[in-house]
Amino acid sequence: MMRQNNMVAMILAGGRGTRLLDLTNKVAKPAVFFGGKYRIIDFPLSNCANSGIDVVGVLTQYESVLLNSYVAKASLWGLDAKDSGVYVLPPREKIEGFGLYRGTADAITQNIDFLDQYDPETVLILSGDHIYKMDYSKMLDCHNKNNADATIAVLEVPMKDTHRFGIMNTDENDRIVEFEEKPKNAKSNLASMGIYIFNWKQLRKALIDDVKNPTSNHDFGKDIIPTFLNTDKRLFAYRFKGYWKDVGTIDSLWEANMDLLYRSEELNLADPSWKIYTEDRTVPAQNFGSKAKVSNAYINQGCVVNGKVTNSVLFTGVIVEAGAEVLDCVLMPNTKVKSGAKVQRIITDENVVIGENAKVGSPKGEIELIAHDVKGV
Amino acid sequence: MCNALGIVSYDDFVNIPGLNDTRPMPSVSFLGRYRLIDFVLSNMTNSEISNIQVYVKNKPRSVIEHVGTGRHYNINSKSGKLRILTGEANVQNEIYHHDISAYIANMQFIEDAHQDYVIIAPSYMVYRVNFEEVLKAHIESKADITMLYKTVDNADTAYARVATLSIEKPRKVVAIETNQGKFKNRHISLSTYVMSKENFVTMVHLANETSSLFTFRDVIKDQLPMMNVVGFPVHGYVACINTLEEYHRVSLELTDYAVSKTLFDPDWPIYTHTNDSCPTRYTATADISASVVSNNCLIEGTVKHSVIGRDVEIHKGAVVEDCVIMANTKIYDNVHLKNVVVDKFAKINHKVDLTGSPDKIIYVKRKDNI
Repeated sequence: MMRQNNMVAMILAGGRGTRLLDLTNKVAKPAVFFGGKYRIIDFPLSNCANSGIDVVGVLTQYESVLLNSYVAKASLWGLDAKDSGVYVLPPREKIEGFGLYRGTADAITQNIDFLDQYDPETVLILSGDHIYKMDYSKMLDCHNKNNADATIAVLEVPMKDTHRFGIMNTDENDRIVEFEEKPKNAKSNLASMGIYIFNWKQLRKALIDDVKNPTSNHDFGKDIIPTFLNTDKRLFAYRFKGYWKDVGTIDSLWEANMDLLYRSEELNLADPSWKIYTEDRTVPAQNFGSKAKVSNAYINQGCVVNGKVTNSVLFTGVIVEAGAEVLDCVLMPNTKVKSGAKVQRIITDENVVIGENAKVGSPKGEIELIAHDVKGV
Repeated sequence: MCNALGIVSYDDFVNIPGLNDTRPMPSVSFLGRYRLIDFVLSNMTNSEISNIQVYVKNKPRSVIEHVGTGRHYNINSKSGKLRILTGEANVQNEIYHHDISAYIANMQFIEDAHQDYVIIAPSYMVYRVNFEEVLKAHIESKADITMLYKTVDNADTAYARVATLSIEKPRKVVAIETNQGKFKNRHISLSTYVMSKENFVTMVHLANETSSLFTFRDVIKDQLPMMNVVGFPVHGYVACINTLEEYHRVSLELTDYAVSKTLFDPDWPIYTHTNDSCPTRYTATADISASVVSNNCLIEGTVKHSVIGRDVEIHKGAVVEDCVIMANTKIYDNVHLKNVVVDKFAKINHKVDLTGSPDKIIYVKRKDNI
């Protein structure tokens, strides 16, 4: 097992993503669609596949039926070779009873037996919530070079945004000396990306100790990292440069989709050397009618467009009928905009139908989520 | 489970110079994301045929790469089987290199099949049919052979050299001829046959013993008076891709969504190999209409009534009209193309103006640099 680098990845994919409103009523946030054809979790899974990681555990909890069946199709990311796999790890009943995952660290603690099967040298902890492309093997090289006990990927953020992140204060060798959760007056702008590499033996011991601590939140940021720091473990920052976005709200999800149009140099999904893999739906190529007008758009296969589409991202199977207008929108799979309808600055949920001549959305203000069919007029 | 072995055949007379220089018919690109073989294979697997043999005459590389183990065509990877077979025994001698010699060379795999029937269909005929229904009708009719056909009114311009059937009521095939393009209205054979495996094996041996130049079509024609052969009409969309002009015409015809809906049915998916390409980006200068476009293209120019393959770039000021542009092609600034088929990996640089006509299509070869 794990011929390539002796590292197992664990993706934390249990969160609901409450601020995504109706989009996460029936699916967990990592299963939410992004970028015309992907789901958010395709990004960490593809990164793992492209980084040469063979074994990936996916920790699911909230509304996990769809997510469990989706990630179990390991062949989508090429992780179905003899020595590799994607393993779905929802909470389970044990001899001491049924335990929900009480925090990010607890989710790993409850799967120590899974990790022990592989006896890896290092464990990579990832979040299933972020859009980015990253070569984890380079981070592992950095971890090994520093002879680190733990390495945390960090992103330089503008000083004005530091209060929203966990901030790492480092010495001149990028060794982490202090960790501050959402500081008011930050001393540095190195924000934790929620991506950790741990020496497994040390993490295993810390997790077992953490379970016994009645005041712990069983959280990596709040408990495990501070414990590592307090016990003088070697923690290092790994500086990541590139596109990274937490698509936690309707506005940020819309904006990240729009980045495919406006920041395509930074978020380039066309790079043949670092493809993002996903489920391929058996639909024909995109079809444009004689009345189609398309300008500044990102469109996936299976779409049928005979109306006007401007500054928008269209997912698999979206239909825009003749006379319909789509402006500044993100239309999720199989959305249908019927003739004469005008939609502006909206995100639709899957399978939503906008009826004939309906007008939805407004030129200003927050992005509107349309999760239910809109009647025609 | 369908009680038939599926055989994807080839016909020797179908060869399109240019398109077939680097790949055989099954792996010719079609409608952007497909290759021709996807239609026959999807017909077979949607009909629950799980044992399939794909015969390839030559240059099998692209077929092997595209079809692989057949897993993406929805074949169970344990209980199902897809084999790519070639008639390698006679490869050095072109005149003996035909479908019968390929069947003879692989007879063991035909005889070993557990199924009692065979369904033989080529990849250059594009249509949608449920073979389970055809097999049921075949068994009920007690015929020796069932042949699929389409009644057409354009046999004078399309279907060149394809077999035509004379059919007497109710459905008996009484003559098989070759379409010379003299008549508009014909019953066109889809080169698709249903028969018992036993009968198929007998016919193959008979062909081989009669003449070493006999093809499968020859032996059927030869044995017709001694057999009960019935026709099975296909009423839906049918295309026969056997000339560059037909390839171009059919591709453009299917850009019309109303026509495309007669071939594609959400309940009858057409499977293909995915390249994991990202969606296509249309810039503010893009102008696209009446076209089919695949994923991961960059469209900055004008595209009218055309089919655009995967990973294609059409730059600013370029105008592409009535064209089929295959994958990985780059059309640079201000190039004008009309009635052109551009093969894969070609680059067409600025200020070039290529104008063909529907009956004289310009073909730009693979990896060409203009």
